[in-house]
Amino acid sequence: MNRMILAAGAVMALALWSIAALSVLPPAAWPTLPWRVDEMTVQQILLAYGLMPRGVLALLAGAALGLAGALMQAVLRNPLADPTTLGTASGAQLAIVAATIFAPDWLLRGNLPVALAGAGAATGLVMALGARRSFAPVTVTIAGMLVGLMASALATAMTLAQGHYLLSLVMWNGGALAQVDWSGSRHMALALVPALLAAAALARPLMVMSLGPEGAHGLGLRLAPLRFATLLLAVALSAMVSAEIGLVGFVGLAAPAIARSLGARTLLQRLMLAPVAGALVLSLADGLLLALAAAGGPSLPTGALTGLIGGPLLIWLLPRMKAQVPQQTEAGDRRGHRAAYPERLLAGLGAACLALAVLTLFGGRGPDGWGFMPPELRETFLPLRATAILAAASAGALLAGSGAILQRLTANPMAAPEVLGVTGGASLGYAVTVIAVDGAGPLMLALGTSAGGALALAGLAGFAMRADLSPARLLLAGLAIGALASAVLGAIMASDDRRAWVILGWLAGSASQVAPLGAAALAGLALALLAALVGAARWLEILPLGGEVGRALGLPLAQVRLGLILLAGLATGAATMLVGPVSFVGLMAPHLARAMGLARAVPFCAGSWLLGALLMLLAAFGARTASYPYDLPLGLFATLIGTPWLFILLMKRTSA
Amino acid sequence: MVGACGFSRRAFLAAACAVAGRALPAFAADGLRLAAVDWAMAETAMALGHPPAALAELIGFRDAAVEPPPQGTIDLGLRGAPNLEALSLVAPDLILSSSYYSAIQPRLERIAPVFTRALYVADEPAFPKVMALLAELAQRLGDPAAGPRAQAAAQAEFATLAGRAAGFADRACLLFELGDSRHIRVFGTDSLFSGALEAMGLRNAWTARTSFAFAAPVPLEKLAEYPEARLVIVGRMPPQAERGLGSAALWNSLPPVKAGRVHRLPELRPFAGIPSALRFAHELVAALEGRA
Repeated sequence: MNRMILAAGAVMALALWSIAALSVLPPAAWPTLPWRVDEMTVQQILLAYGLMPRGVLALLAGAALGLAGALMQAVLRNPLADPTTLGTASGAQLAIVAATIFAPDWLLRGNLPVALAGAGAATGLVMALGARRSFAPVTVTIAGMLVGLMASALATAMTLAQGHYLLSLVMWNGGALAQVDWSGSRHMALALVPALLAAAALARPLMVMSLGPEGAHGLGLRLAPLRFATLLLAVALSAMVSAEIGLVGFVGLAAPAIARSLGARTLLQRLMLAPVAGALVLSLADGLLLALAAAGGPSLPTGALTGLIGGPLLIWLLPRMKAQVPQQTEAGDRRGHRAAYPERLLAGLGAACLALAVLTLFGGRGPDGWGFMPPELRETFLPLRATAILAAASAGALLAGSGAILQRLTANPMAAPEVLGVTGGASLGYAVTVIAVDGAGPLMLALGTSAGGALALAGLAGFAMRADLSPARLLLAGLAIGALASAVLGAIMASDDRRAWVILGWLAGSASQVAPLGAAALAGLALALLAALVGAARWLEILPLGGEVGRALGLPLAQVRLGLILLAGLATGAATMLVGPVSFVGLMAPHLARAMGLARAVPFCAGSWLLGALLMLLAAFGARTASYPYDLPLGLFATLIGTPWLFILLMKRTSA
Repeated sequence: MVGACGFSRRAFLAAACAVAGRALPAFAADGLRLAAVDWAMAETAMALGHPPAALAELIGFRDAAVEPPPQGTIDLGLRGAPNLEALSLVAPDLILSSSYYSAIQPRLERIAPVFTRALYVADEPAFPKVMALLAELAQRLGDPAAGPRAQAAAQAEFATLAGRAAGFADRACLLFELGDSRHIRVFGTDSLFSGALEAMGLRNAWTARTSFAFAAPVPLEKLAEYPEARLVIVGRMPPQAERGLGSAALWNSLPPVKAGRVHRLPELRPFAGIPSALRFAHELVAALEGRA
C-alpha cells in the first residue's frame, strides 16, 4: 500500500516531466549517449542540459531537504522543525543577499560558503534561544520564524538600499530550478551521498537519545556532540540547497510527515524514507510548473509553489502534535521581580514618550546638518513631522498592545503580532492591490491592505472558534497563514516587474508617508486599544494561569479568547496598513515591560503600550535622520533597535 | 514662510554657484522651479532645457545619467518615499511625477502642483508616450516651442542612426538583461528600447507574449526559440552570471552565440525619457558596427 503511494507519486512526477520533455522533442530525436555538444541540435541540448539536469536536481534537492528536515525533527524531537521554520533558509538568504550587494566577489566561487555561514549563524541563534527552553517545539518554531522574519526584513532593507532591482536576487528568492548544465546536480549528488551515509550512522545514537537524557547517559552517550553533529549535517544540507536553487520552503517539513504517515516506524526508516518523500514532493511541484509552462502557461518559481503547500501542511500537522510533544515544556517564564511602584514607572514612561516626541518634533537633520527647526520653517515642517511622529507612536502602541494581549493569552513569551498572520495577510492584500490596479491611490491601497488583514484574521478566528483551541496551536496557525502569504508574495515578486519595487518599499515600512487623517485615526485606535486593555484587565490577569483556572473562575473562555484575538488582530492590521509590517515592536515592548517589573495585567499592558510608542518614536527619528534626505525603512530601524535587546532578555530571563 | 524660504535658498544657491565660479544653472535664471520625483520626467525636462532644481535619488540618477544634472541640484531622497521636508525646502513651482508614485500624490500636491502621466503601463508602447511627453511638458512649462524642437532633434538623430543601422536590419534584435546564468529579463514591444529599435528601422524579435509586459523574467532556454536573432545584452553582467554563462552548454550552443551575434551594451535606464532612448540607440549602433 505504502509502496503503491510512493510508486504512484513517482509515476506522476515522471509523467509531468515527460510532458515538458516531449514538448521539446519527440523521443525518436532524443540525443544518444555519449553526448557530444558540438553535434547536438539546440533542442537536444535543451533536453540534455536543461530539462534532464533540472529533473535530477529536483529529485536530489528534494531528497536533501527531506533528509535535513528528518534530521532536525529527530534531534529536536519536534515535528515542526525544518529549514524554513528554524530560520536556516532565511539566514542563508540574508547572507547571499548581503554578499550579492556588498561583496559580489565572494560569490565567484559559488554561493555555498556564504550560504553555509548565514544558515549556520541563524540556526545557531535559534538553538541558543531554544536551549534555554529545553527545545520546546512550539517555542523553537516561533523563535525560528522570528529569526527568519528578522533576516528577511534585513534582506529587504538591503535590496532597497541598493536602490536597484537585482534580477538574480528576485529569481533566487523565488527558488528557481532552471538549469543550463549538470554542475548543480553534480554538486548536490556529491553532498547527498555522504550525508545519507552519515544520517544512517547517526540513526542509532539518535534513537537512543530519544529514550530521554537519563537513558542516554546510562548507555554512555554524550548528547551535546551528537546534537551538534546532527544539526550541522542538517544545516549543511539546507545551505547546499539554498546555494544551488534558492529558497524552497516546507519540503523538509512535508517529507518526514509523509514518511511517518506511510508507516515509517523506526528512526532509521524515517531518515531513509524522508529523502524519498522529499524528492517526490519537489519533483511533483516542479513537474507541475514545467508542464504548466509547456502548455503555454507562465513559468513560476518552484519555491513559491512549495510555500503554498507549506501553510496548509502546518495546519494539518497541528492536531497530530499532541501525542508526540510534551506540552508542559512550553510553559512561559516564571514571574520575575515586581516593581514596587508601577504607577511611578508608568508615569515616567509617559513623560519619556512626550519628551522624546517634542524633541524629535523640533530637532532633526536638514541640508545644513543637525539642529533645531528655525522658527520660520515651523509652519511648513511642524504638520509634516507631527503627522509622522503621531503615526509612528500610535502604530508602536497598537503593535505593542497587541503583543501584550497575545503573550497574556498564550502564556508564551515568544508570541507576537507578526506571528498572528495578520501582517502577512495585510501585506498580501497590499501586493495584490498594487498588481491588480494600475496606479492605485492611497484609499484603494488602504482598502486592499485591510481586506487582506481581515481575511487572515477571519481564517484565524475560524480556527480559534474550534473548541480544542490551545494557545500554542493558535500561534502556529497564525504562522501558517503568514507562511502562505509570504509564499504568494514571493511568487508575485519573482514573476512581475517594477511594481514589485513599490511593494518592497512598503514592506520596509515608512511613517513619513502617512496622511494626517490616517495618523489621527491611528492615534484614536491606539487610545481605544488602551481603554480596551484596561477594561479586559481581569481576563488578562486570569488567562496566563491556564484554561482550568479560568473555567473554575467562571470565565466564558471561548468568547474571551475570540474577542481578544480579534482585538489584537484589528490593532495589528490597523498599524500595518499605515506604516507597513514593522517587525518586533510587538514582541519587544512586552518583554521590556516585564523586565521593568510590570507584572500585573494593567501595568503590564499599559507599560507595553507606552514602550511600544517609545520604541517607534526612536525608530522613526533614526529612520528620518540617519541618512538624510533618504528616509530609511522604519521596519529596519525598529528591528535594529530592538532585536539585540530582545535576544539578551530572552537569554537572561530563563537562565535565572 | 514657504515663499521667503524658497527665495533665500535660491539666493543661497546663486551665491554658492558664483563662489564656485560656474554659470548659474538654468533653473535659477528663468521659468518654473521644478522638482522631479520620476526619472523619466527629469530626463524629459532636461532635454527641454529646463533641468529640475531637485531630483529624487540623485546619487543613483548620476550613476547612469545621459547628461549629468546641473551642479547644485538638490537630492530629494527615495523616489517612492521622497523626503517631504527636503521637497518643501526646495519650494518648487511644479512637481514632476508619474503613475508609479500615485500613492504619494496627495502629499506632493500639498506642497506644489503636480504634473503626472502614466508613461509605463504594461501592453501600451511607452516610446510614443515618452515622445509626446516632450511637447506636453513643454506646454506646461510655458515654453511650447521647446517641445516640437526637442522632438524634431530626437527624430533627426534617430533618422541618422537608422541610416547607420540599415545594414543590420536583416535580423531582428532580442533585447534582454541577464539576471543569473539561467534567467533573463526580455524587453517586450511595449518597452522604451523596443520603440527606439523601431525608430531606427530595426525589429524586436520578442513579439510573442506581450502579456509578459516589458521585462518579464524568463528562463535562458527561451533564447533557443530565436535562432536567427541578434542577442543584445543590456546592462552590467553579475560576475557569477558571467562565469556561469561561459561554461553553460546551452548558452554556447545557441546559434547567435556560435555565430558571434551577441552584442553587449552598458548600463542603461529602461524606464526613462527620450534621452535614454537615444543613448540606447547610439550604444546599439556602436555595438553593431563594432561587430561588423
